[in-house]
Amino acid sequence: MRMDRKKLGTILVVVSVVLILMTVYLAVFFAPLPQTGVKSAGEILSSVEGSKLKVAGFVSAVYSIHFGMLDGPDEVIFSLADFRDYGRYLQANATHSLNQQWWTVRPIDIKSISGGLNSRMGPNLGGVIVVGANLSMDGIVTSNTIAPNSNVTGFSLSSGSGNDITFGSVGSFGLMTAPVAQKIFYFHMPSAWACYLSFGVTLVGSALFLRTRDHKYDRVAYSSAEIGIVFATIAITTGPVWAKQEWGVYWRWDDMKLVTTFVLWLVYIGYLSLRAAISEPSAKARVSAVYGILSFITVPMSFLSSRVAPLLQSSHPQVIATSSGSLSPQAGMTIGIAVVAFTVLFITMLIKRVEIAEAEEELEELKRKIGDEE
Amino acid sequence: MMSDSWTALYVAYSIVWLGLFSFLGYMYLRQRRIDKDIKMLKEEVSKHGK
Repeated sequence: MRMDRKKLGTILVVVSVVLILMTVYLAVFFAPLPQTGVKSAGEILSSVEGSKLKVAGFVSAVYSIHFGMLDGPDEVIFSLADFRDYGRYLQANATHSLNQQWWTVRPIDIKSISGGLNSRMGPNLGGVIVVGANLSMDGIVTSNTIAPNSNVTGFSLSSGSGNDITFGSVGSFGLMTAPVAQKIFYFHMPSAWACYLSFGVTLVGSALFLRTRDHKYDRVAYSSAEIGIVFATIAITTGPVWAKQEWGVYWRWDDMKLVTTFVLWLVYIGYLSLRAAISEPSAKARVSAVYGILSFITVPMSFLSSRVAPLLQSSHPQVIATSSGSLSPQAGMTIGIAVVAFTVLFITMLIKRVEIAEAEEELEELKRKIGDEE
Repeated sequence: MMSDSWTALYVAYSIVWLGLFSFLGYMYLRQRRIDKDIKMLKEEVSKHGK
């Protein structure tokens, strides 16, 4: 029986490694680079070029200025922010023609923008640009060149009095500004899926243990939780690598998807810590089963947080999206294979981990026997 | 750091492989150590039995 299980384990390892290698190949060479499908900021600004606009905003932090671009045909709202250590990003939310999608653009040289703002608005405004200060300005959108010796074109709001506000460079704008980095998604999302699946198995194992008091379910529950933490760690470390490219920052504490996933990770770290803290086997299994059931609430919290973006602020992309956000067939196939690969890998790891848990118990039993004899 | 998309992709894929293989390696070593301990204890039990 043990031999059969070993053979099965080896076969599953080979299958999952082959599937993962296949995913790497498909992700890199087969899946197309994502197309924006959404207007770039440059397009939007081009469309309003010459229009009269009112820009209003507030200073959210020192060196950080948020502007809203009101009354435009697309009602776009731009936020400019300098996150100091994290780099800079510009985020835009278009409420009408962009179908309420959040989209982000590559970091732009905010220094030239804020510097331009300061100098163009005059030295007397130095005290105005402080945290919480409200600023607004009327003007006409005009295109210009942002950086000297560069062909990068930006847009300014020209008021006619010399108080121009520069919005940014067209060349840097777009929905997917780091399309290659988007291929991280083919491993990031399946990792997240595998972590949700693992914690689901922990939930089921915990419930079955409480019902039957059979320790085999407890073994499955904590083995699965341990594997779930591995997948969750992969998901929450690969996500920021993508975010840095796409958002300009590694992490955003105001994004509910990120925060709830981090909470999920901490909660399951707590699950393993709790088990480590209790030495009596029955009490350990009982208490952790209750914890394993209660902690599952963090899974739907994490999964749904980006789907209720109007209520909970999140610019995390929705993977299983409808209409405009749907994947191309090639990307869909790649992600499908990746999900299968990670599911097989999870099953492989679970079988192996449960086997180890059984061996550990056998070892403990032997130790007890020897202790009793002595 | 991570000046371009490709670097980010390599870093992320490395994290995935490192994470998965570290865990698989950890499980392998753990299994080996437990098997060794069990074998040793069984030998000890049989010796005491004699």
